[in-house]
Amino acid sequence: MANTACFIIVGRNDIPIYEAEVGSAAKREDAAQLHQFILHAALDVVQDLAWTTSAMFLKSVDRFNDLVVSVYVTAGHTRLMLLHDSRNEDGIKSFFQEVHELYIKILLNPLYLPGSRITSSHFDTKVRALARKYL
Amino acid sequence: MVEPVNSSFGKMLLEEVSPVVMVLCTPLVEETFLKNGLSFVETLKPFCNFRNIDVPVRTSSDQLYRLKKFTLRLFYASDIKQPNVEVAKQRLEHVITQAGEKDFQDMKSDPPQISDILSNPESEIAPSWFQYYNKELIRTLSFSDHEAFDHPVACLLVVSSKDEEPIKKFVDLFNSNRLPTDGTMDPNILKHYLLVHDNQDATTERTSKVLSEMRSQFGNNECNLLCTNSSKEGNVEHQANPWASFKSSVSADKLGCALTGDDIVEIKDLMQEFASRHIIPYMEQKVRELNQQISATRKGLRNQFKSFFRKGKVDGPDATKGSMYTYSSTESQIRILGDYAFMLHDYELALSSYQLISTDYNLDKAWKHYAGVQEMMGLATFISDQSKKESEYYMEKAFSTYIKLGKSGFQNATRCGLWWAEMLKARDQHKEAASVYFRICGEEPLHAAVMLEQASYCFVLTKPAMLHKYGFHLVLSGEHYKNCDQVNHAIRTYKSAISVYKSTTWSHIKDHVYFHIGQWYAIVGMHDVAVRNMLKVLDCGYQSKATQEIFLRDFFDIVKKTGMKHEVVGLQLPVINMLSLQVIYEDHRTYASQASALVEESIWQSLEDDIIPSLNSGKSNWLELQSKLLPKKYKESNVCVAGESVKVDLEFKNPLLISTSITSVSLICELTANSDDLKLDNEPSSSSLGPEISTEHNQVTTSGFSSFTLSEVEFTLGGGEKKLVRLTVTPSEEGILKIVGVRWELSGSIVGVHYFQSVPVKAKTARGRRKNKLTPTDALKFLVIKSLPRLEGSIDHLPEKLYAGDLRYLVLELRNKSESPIKNLKMKISHPRFVSPGNHEEELATEFPDCLKKGDEQNIVQHETNRTSSVFAFPKDVSLQGERSLRWPLWLRAAIPGTISLYFTIYYEMENVSSIMKYRTLRMHYNLQVLPSLQTSFEITPSPSRLQEFLVRMDIVNRANSGCFQIHQLSTVGSRWGISLLQPVDTILPSKSLLAGQALSCFFMIKDCRKSGTEDEETMTLPPSQTDVKLFTQDDDEKLFDIVSSPLASFHDSERSCQGPSVQVGPNTVDFILISRLAKSSSPSAVPDLPKILTHHSCHNSIRSSSPLSWSLDGPQTIHHDFLTSLCEIKLKMVIRNTSDGFSSVTINTNDCLPDAAAPTSSSGNQSGWRYVPTVTEEMKLTSDVMGSRLGKPPSSMESSPPFIWSGLSSTKVQIQPLSTTEIPLQISVFSPGIYDLSSYKLNWELSEHKSATSSGTCQGYPYYLTVLQSE
Repeated sequence: MANTACFIIVGRNDIPIYEAEVGSAAKREDAAQLHQFILHAALDVVQDLAWTTSAMFLKSVDRFNDLVVSVYVTAGHTRLMLLHDSRNEDGIKSFFQEVHELYIKILLNPLYLPGSRITSSHFDTKVRALARKYL
Repeated sequence: MVEPVNSSFGKMLLEEVSPVVMVLCTPLVEETFLKNGLSFVETLKPFCNFRNIDVPVRTSSDQLYRLKKFTLRLFYASDIKQPNVEVAKQRLEHVITQAGEKDFQDMKSDPPQISDILSNPESEIAPSWFQYYNKELIRTLSFSDHEAFDHPVACLLVVSSKDEEPIKKFVDLFNSNRLPTDGTMDPNILKHYLLVHDNQDATTERTSKVLSEMRSQFGNNECNLLCTNSSKEGNVEHQANPWASFKSSVSADKLGCALTGDDIVEIKDLMQEFASRHIIPYMEQKVRELNQQISATRKGLRNQFKSFFRKGKVDGPDATKGSMYTYSSTESQIRILGDYAFMLHDYELALSSYQLISTDYNLDKAWKHYAGVQEMMGLATFISDQSKKESEYYMEKAFSTYIKLGKSGFQNATRCGLWWAEMLKARDQHKEAASVYFRICGEEPLHAAVMLEQASYCFVLTKPAMLHKYGFHLVLSGEHYKNCDQVNHAIRTYKSAISVYKSTTWSHIKDHVYFHIGQWYAIVGMHDVAVRNMLKVLDCGYQSKATQEIFLRDFFDIVKKTGMKHEVVGLQLPVINMLSLQVIYEDHRTYASQASALVEESIWQSLEDDIIPSLNSGKSNWLELQSKLLPKKYKESNVCVAGESVKVDLEFKNPLLISTSITSVSLICELTANSDDLKLDNEPSSSSLGPEISTEHNQVTTSGFSSFTLSEVEFTLGGGEKKLVRLTVTPSEEGILKIVGVRWELSGSIVGVHYFQSVPVKAKTARGRRKNKLTPTDALKFLVIKSLPRLEGSIDHLPEKLYAGDLRYLVLELRNKSESPIKNLKMKISHPRFVSPGNHEEELATEFPDCLKKGDEQNIVQHETNRTSSVFAFPKDVSLQGERSLRWPLWLRAAIPGTISLYFTIYYEMENVSSIMKYRTLRMHYNLQVLPSLQTSFEITPSPSRLQEFLVRMDIVNRANSGCFQIHQLSTVGSRWGISLLQPVDTILPSKSLLAGQALSCFFMIKDCRKSGTEDEETMTLPPSQTDVKLFTQDDDEKLFDIVSSPLASFHDSERSCQGPSVQVGPNTVDFILISRLAKSSSPSAVPDLPKILTHHSCHNSIRSSSPLSWSLDGPQTIHHDFLTSLCEIKLKMVIRNTSDGFSSVTINTNDCLPDAAAPTSSSGNQSGWRYVPTVTEEMKLTSDVMGSRLGKPPSSMESSPPFIWSGLSSTKVQIQPLSTTEIPLQISVFSPGIYDLSSYKLNWELSEHKSATSSGTCQGYPYYLTVLQSE
């Protein structure tokens, strides 16, 4: 498992709808905001890249020092963004695919308003389990 | 895309990579020029830039080309050396600090809109001082020894005409040449001699003499004369001052004050001549020379072999030291050739020479030189507009090589990076430029900050703009600025970043930016701006508790430093839940308590329907009444009364994990005088609603002129806690009252204000709903009318919990505090079954339970008949005023178990009807919890032996969870039924009290005392006391309760109507009242105050009989007869009573044939005759047995009955009047002794009731046992 990893799902209008620090490293107080900054900045790159390829998994799109941003863009232009320091591309791809599946299940919930924050604790535990498995 | 040469970077290159002229001058020359506030070099500088010099140049090739633009760089000889690193650093820092101070003025302004940034022209996006900074940064690297373009091409020797022995001075100047002596620079350079003549204080003769001397000494061409300071007064003003852009520190208009236009022209001409006549030809010549020399030594196959062998020679030593190549070495020569060619804009030659040596440097591992050459190649390819890829490749290589050198190469790498970035920018590759800037950040924070900031501007310039990156790099840069105490710059960058992050939902980002910029504003002492920014981070519930604490602590620190109270509109701490807003006010409807105000309006309305007067026919309510009296515009607003408070309930929620104390919570209101508003009907009264005005409104309220008073509340909210707070405003004058918002104080220094108008206006729902279901503005606008009397009411000692059946005596207390009287009081109660008002004010003389007992004559009160309507009207003479209070008795009886809401509404009218409000209502609401207690059920069966008597079985179950009850008394209601005990009291309930869950059955006899139509009244009536049965033994002198006394009787009436007969039953119903009391021994747990008596009403208990007849057979029980003499004839009498209201005809059929127990009765009517009779002896034996077990054996063993026959009539038909009795004589004949059951008869009845409907039926006879014995 990666030392640092921050996973965010960004909905339309660049609003984060799910955030999770999934790294195994001890949490630092200012890490959360740095991660957000990096991921937020990477949105620009994703915007450019997303339309150049038909693949959903964009691989690593941006980096800041030793932190890499990998992105997976769903058909609805929801962006699953992972900030990580490991190089396990296959694992990240599988992670994204499975989280995408979970996300679709969330979308199928008639009580979930698309674009609103995902508060399901079930989703959260599943994502964290996937992170442990693949990252 | 512009041509590279004309791009800003191209221009910069032409300036930067240009021939250097070393200036050597005497102190007197300097003195001359300082009169103008300028040094010599500074004076010449503006004229070293030639836009259109137009000099023909021929370098290596034979082709001539014309040089258009040309620049010379002038330096004092003392400056031609590598600058000290530390000094350079300080200078750079100074540049930044200065720029920061300049920016300080507009720091207070709000962050720019992102659209403004994007619409700015390209040149204005980045602050202009970056250009200057970059230039300074590059200058720190000038005169390095691995490059040749900074090496002086020519030397300008300047001597003033005032100098002693000017010729000697010239020689001395050059001899003490301070050219760097490390050997990399060529000392044999072009020399030019200049004599300066100051027109102000030197004579022309001497000057011309010196000049001619010079010319003879140094050659005609190499000498020039410069006459300056022609203006005697020294106050020439230049329209477009050429020096202004070079020297900004001194006020520009003083510069060059002694130089006339002619002087300037002379300087210009001098420089032009110097460049075109001397420098360019000299360089041209040098280039050709070098080119020839190099082609001789390096080009061609032979030379290449040579150089190949040379390599093996120098392979050993590491070549990082710059001194390995002297100016005379081949490599340096080639480099100079390249640089000169570059400067003469012959980029092809430059490139080829650079290429030539780059391999050499590479092989020599002279990395610094190598990188420098690569850099120049990059520039050359760029400026000659060759392929992008190539130039980028060279730059990349140069950059990485410099980086490879480690720390020593970093400075060079920076310059290389800057050029590279500029190059990319010139080609509109801003994104790449940004990444280059990012790469040259380095470790030094200040440097990094500037580079990051430049990178961020590149992101804005990319198409489309990458604003996320822009923000991120600005933040990074700001952090670095802060780390080296450049707070001004830090604030500037963050302020720009805020325009990106303004509306972001990325919570951590938002908090970080606002918190830090707030902190920094505080550092520079702009506390108010700091507070404004810090406010945005207060709603940070998602942050960890530690972070929240830091945020709050810093925030309050800063607030304290400002030393004043801040009023903040829309403060996020605490969060106000606008959905919880609830306005409670009283117009004609007043409420006794909080709870009653929260009851839904429809309940009250349905309750008040009867008692509120309707003026018009049909549906009319108070609103319509008002609409006649009020202008139309007030129809919409609510009405409240001066002196009575309007209450607002609002929920505050603490979003943080830290508990927060909030003080001085109050409403913001405004009260406008009514009269003014009425006149200015057109002017909307909401014009004064703006937030800016309401602040002054608050001051009005606090400063004595109080047309209304506000309540202030303090409370503490724990982490995440919600609290509902009640705020009140009490207007004291008439007018229009508006509740504008709410304000509160946080830690005594921050005033939060929340305006209710910010609520999205909801669609207006049905009018008449009282609460904030209206549009908020309507609900918060009140018409204040003149003060009116207001009735206050309460019910004393109303218990909250009681047992079912509990009877209480309560007092309703009504007060009217005002002086004007009220009258015409009416009351309506939602549950008349539970509450019944008394008849007299304070009617009780004796203690409550005793007053209901018999013997208290004053209590025997006749019923009033007006109980049919549930409205209770107080007597007309009741009028309330002033301090007097009205105490009215109320009886409460908990009729059924469960939770009961009791609603009281009291209507009253004002005596002085000048107001638009003529009446008001007082609404009271109470909740009762009624616990189950005793449950009774009755079963009544007609007594088989007695006419008009009935057996009653009463089943009592104690349903209470705890508590035991004593049964006190059982009464029948009305005088019809008399009741008596069947058993002594002691045997019914030996333990005397009924425990929880215990059940009990007991039996009574009741007797119908109703008079029949035919019978005399006197004979049959029972004394009234016999309707009650005492069910207790102890305390024998205790009186029984009088069930016809007012509360009991009235409650019984309502019980009767409530328990109403479920099915149509006959007239034979009995109502019972069981009175019990709580046993003294029971624990007082369930009910707080012990009930005194409990009454249990059971109504409409019908008699279990289907026939309208009752009859009895009268006759002897035992007869002694001598059967030896004759058969025995026995006379019997049957008494039949018609209990119904109709005529009935009854047919009596006697049946001698006994019904067979096994087989059903044969339907054949009258089979008289002999039957098998067992032998007498047998029968006799049986008799004795029967005697003993008569009671135990049911009369079903009929086969043992000895025969008897009905003698006399076998069938009789009689007509019986309603409620009357008839006697029919009957006779039987018995033939032997024995016990006879005389039940073998049937009564067929046919009832014709008054409405011609008939019913009929058959009754089997009752068993009647007759014992006939043989007389001795």
